[in-house]
Amino acid sequence: MDFSLSKEQLMIQGMAKEFAEKYIEPVAEQIDRENKIPDNILKGLAELDLFGIPYDEAYGGADGGYDGYVLAMEQIGKASGGVAMTISAHSLALSAISFFGTEELKKKYMTPSCKGEHIASFAFTEPATGSDPKSLTTTAKKVGNEYVINGTKRFISNANWPGVIVVFAIDDQTNKPSAFLIDKLCEGYSISEPWDKIGMHGGMLLDVYLNDVKVPLENMLGGPSMGYPILQCGISFGKVGVSSTALGGTLAAYEEAMKYATEKMHRDAPIAKFQAMQLRLADLAIKYETARWMTYRLGWLANNVKDPRAFARDAALTKTFVCDNMVDCARIAMDVHGSYGLMNDYKISRIWKDSIIGPQIEGVADMQKMIVAGVNLAERK
Amino acid sequence: MATFMIYSSKEKQALELITAAKSVGAAAVKAVCINDEAQANALAAAGAEVLLINNDAISLADVAAVASALGQVAAQLGADTILLSSDRRGKEAAGRLAAILDAGCLTDISAIKANGDKIECQRNALGGATVATQYIASDKKIIAIRPKTFDAPGAGSGSVNAMTVDVKASAVKLIETKTRGGDSVDIEAAEALVVVGQGLNSKDDLPAVEALAKKLGGEVACSKPVATDKKWLSEERIVGLSGKKCKPELAIILGISGQVQFTVGIRDAKVIVAVNSDENATINGMADYILTADMHDVIKEMNSSL
Amino acid sequence: MNIVVAMKQVPDLQQVRIRNREPVFTDVPLVLGNIDKNALEAAVAIKESGDANVIALSAGNEDVEDTIKEALAAGADEAFLVLDDKLNGAESGVVAQVLAAAVKKIDDVGLILFGEGSGDNYSGQVGSRVAELLGLPQVAYASALELKGDKALVTRSLEDCTEIVEVTLPAVVTVLSDINEARIPSVTQILKAGKKPKEVLELDEVGVKIPPAASVVTVSNLAPETERKRIVVKSVAELIQSLTTEGVIGR
Ligand SMILES: Cc1cc2nc3c(=O)[nH]c(=O)nc-3n(C[C@H](O)[C@H](O)[C@H](O)COP(=O)(O)OP(=O)(O)OC[C@H]3O[C@@H](n4cnc5c(N)ncnc54)[C@H](O)[C@@H]3O)c2cc1C
Ligand SMILES: Cc1cc2nc3c(=O)[nH]c(=O)nc-3n(C[C@H](O)[C@H](O)[C@H](O)COP(=O)(O)OP(=O)(O)OC[C@H]3O[C@@H](n4cnc5c(N)ncnc54)[C@H](O)[C@@H]3O)c2cc1C
Repeated sequence: MDFSLSKEQLMIQGMAKEFAEKYIEPVAEQIDRENKIPDNILKGLAELDLFGIPYDEAYGGADGGYDGYVLAMEQIGKASGGVAMTISAHSLALSAISFFGTEELKKKYMTPSCKGEHIASFAFTEPATGSDPKSLTTTAKKVGNEYVINGTKRFISNANWPGVIVVFAIDDQTNKPSAFLIDKLCEGYSISEPWDKIGMHGGMLLDVYLNDVKVPLENMLGGPSMGYPILQCGISFGKVGVSSTALGGTLAAYEEAMKYATEKMHRDAPIAKFQAMQLRLADLAIKYETARWMTYRLGWLANNVKDPRAFARDAALTKTFVCDNMVDCARIAMDVHGSYGLMNDYKISRIWKDSIIGPQIEGVADMQKMIVAGVNLAERK
Repeated sequence: MATFMIYSSKEKQALELITAAKSVGAAAVKAVCINDEAQANALAAAGAEVLLINNDAISLADVAAVASALGQVAAQLGADTILLSSDRRGKEAAGRLAAILDAGCLTDISAIKANGDKIECQRNALGGATVATQYIASDKKIIAIRPKTFDAPGAGSGSVNAMTVDVKASAVKLIETKTRGGDSVDIEAAEALVVVGQGLNSKDDLPAVEALAKKLGGEVACSKPVATDKKWLSEERIVGLSGKKCKPELAIILGISGQVQFTVGIRDAKVIVAVNSDENATINGMADYILTADMHDVIKEMNSSL
Repeated sequence: MNIVVAMKQVPDLQQVRIRNREPVFTDVPLVLGNIDKNALEAAVAIKESGDANVIALSAGNEDVEDTIKEALAAGADEAFLVLDDKLNGAESGVVAQVLAAAVKKIDDVGLILFGEGSGDNYSGQVGSRVAELLGLPQVAYASALELKGDKALVTRSLEDCTEIVEVTLPAVVTVLSDINEARIPSVTQILKAGKKPKEVLELDEVGVKIPPAASVVTVSNLAPETERKRIVVKSVAELIQSLTTEGVIGR
């Protein structure tokens, strides 16, 4: 067992940290206020291969593994949850394509995405269903050698950017969900205004309207009726990104609390002199370290998934812990700040708002626990 | 007993080096001047035994020639302890001369003290986070001392003698010299400094800063980005690791976060005032008086009440 | 033409902690010096606008084999390393001898670049020493650098002026950090760094012996003590009152 990082891993972490500190952090508050990531940040992320870290070089990726992805995403998430969420949702779609796509689909759709020329989306959620795949209402009707898709998708990350979108729809051939790769902004594709969500601003969330969108047969991902496995598996990879983003937020909360406690004066000494403050700082350190090693391990597991069910369980339990843990840490760090932390001038206010998002996305916390228990109970039999 | 030799391209700093040599027990100080008769006379009037080299083949821009000349003089004099000024020219020459003489060398020295037959030197290390005390153990020693570490010596009666050296044909040709951004100031000499950082809104706010400096009988100085990135002030006003180390009686620091590379340049000030809109700014940790406020308001109010 | 960039492995200063005034280096990762990265960037810029091969040269302990990947990721074409445990923290004079001996083993060297000072010690001697040992011309404190045939046009930034000088190649140039902004390497470049060519020599292969006695001895290296009052004042009036009492204004 060796818990140290290789030089390459340290360099990926260092590179992301440098970019995040030099370019993202100075505009993080602006991103939060304007709900928009400046173009030069997106361009910089693309130049540094941050849109394609874990994917194969043959498809434009950097071949840096999910371990490299986790390390970079932590640093980006520390500076801005919205920027990290953009990459995370994009990678969710790419991981699904990478796992289930044909050679042609991977070449065609992953290459521009990995290079950051496109930003990908993954569309499962609908107005009537978030956690239940059986309630999908979007339909795919086979007409000749194409499918025609109709329906509405809700809360779809990155739906505004050009690129590929993985769409789940009930396949009229089997009456089960299949997944399709569609070019966003094609004919019949339209989007709502961005949702005004509580945090992770800059990460764009929109509804997608699909109106007689035509898709060639070969754009079906993984084959007929593979919707459910793709959803399960894709989302498991997605949880690597969500967990890393939350880990970054946790680190930010910890650092903000440390900074405040050692700089805010009470009489003539910093408030860190109080034991109550020290206990909080210790709790933050414990919680960060726990989340860190769980997330790093998940990145390592994602590099070599042999048993998708076991991986789904590990992803679910990691994501549940790390995202809930960020909420706890934001709360503790907020307590260190007192009323000042409530002012938008303090970064902890943003971390607090961002933190509550993790537990509600890519499967709410309860669904995660059902996955964990489900896999474990099944294995016991 | 050590034989001391000093050299600086600048008269003022050469004078300081005479004092430096005496402070560690030099009985006689030999000074080298290159193509600078005025400096030679000034050093002689301060008691140095000056060796004046007049040689058109030596250009200050060609450090190889300067170091070679110094090496030849040192050999002729049997000098073993050579003090240089730790300005950029001095530092550039120091390493070259050290290689010629196979000498141990210390640069950026901010204090020296004789301890038995050793000369203990202080310099910043680790980006200014620590101060190292070191001495040179080899026979030949080169110590480059920061400008302003010593005062000029009193009057004395020295001498000026001509010296000849041979230098190789130069591979460095000076094309052009540009003096810096017009205003020539000496922030190290100022009793009071008004130091501004990136908290300053715009160049248009500078006149008010200058007015305040004037009222306090001091100078305007700045953090590095204000000069090198924004170019609002000239680089000779930078305080810090790559700027000047200042010891004013009063330093009013406005809109500066307080990174260690900056603070090393001001931590020896007698009284430090920090004005920053961030009540947690790092600079507050090293201040005697902390005022959390917009620096522009503070400047305005101080100007009107002083 | 080969451009050699001499780069020093130093502890990551941001991660050096101070305990009881002593710097603590345990578990502090090793990185290349910041200003050295500007020297590398200057070399890579020349390479990109013309035709040159950039060699990162470093002397140090065996960790350098890993640390030098930073240079290979940021645009160096190959690495030339002299490795020996004794080179870790070796003094300027020794390091200069090793670097000079290494440069002699490289063909067709047009330019040898250094950072103006190392990240940890910042003594700024090594470039000048190497120039002397190799008998080459030098220009230090460069804020701009441009190649013109067999010459380089260098802007030397001094305290009170800047000099534009023309120097015949091969030459030694040390650069200031503001000469450029060093690039951040991409993930792909990072992962390919380890596959770039690397020549590794031992100390006796370059023929340098480390003298048993150090020429510079460190007596102590401590964080300075600061005792500031840290009095929070609420208004300009209160500040002026305090400064007057201190006797630093109104004299
Ligand atoms: C920032 C953000 C980004 C998003 N990005 C995307 C995206 O890119 N693509 C996408 O498809 N979606 C996306 N979503 C949607 C998100 O994935 C869903 O909202 C989420 O999966 C939860 O669905 P829901 O809100 O409909 O919750 P519901 O499923 O309605 O759950 C509500 C509550 O009911 C309980 N519950 C539900 N079902 C069960 C059950 N079977 N047993 C017990 N309890 C149950 C849960 O505990 C939960 O607390 C995003 C959402 C956000 C906020
Ligand atoms: C090798 C090296 C050498 C260096 N050498 C030096 C050096 O010699 N000198 C130097 O200064 N730096 C040096 N630096 C840079 C140094 O690390 C810092 O980046 C620099 O000092 C920051 O300058 P600043 O404090 O002005 O700017 P910032 O760090 O941007 O701080 C600006 C401050 O202004 C405050 N502020 C903003 N608006 C207002 C307002 N309206 N009123 C009041 N306060 C406000 C902010 O709260 C903040 O604290 C060096 C760096 C390196 C790597």
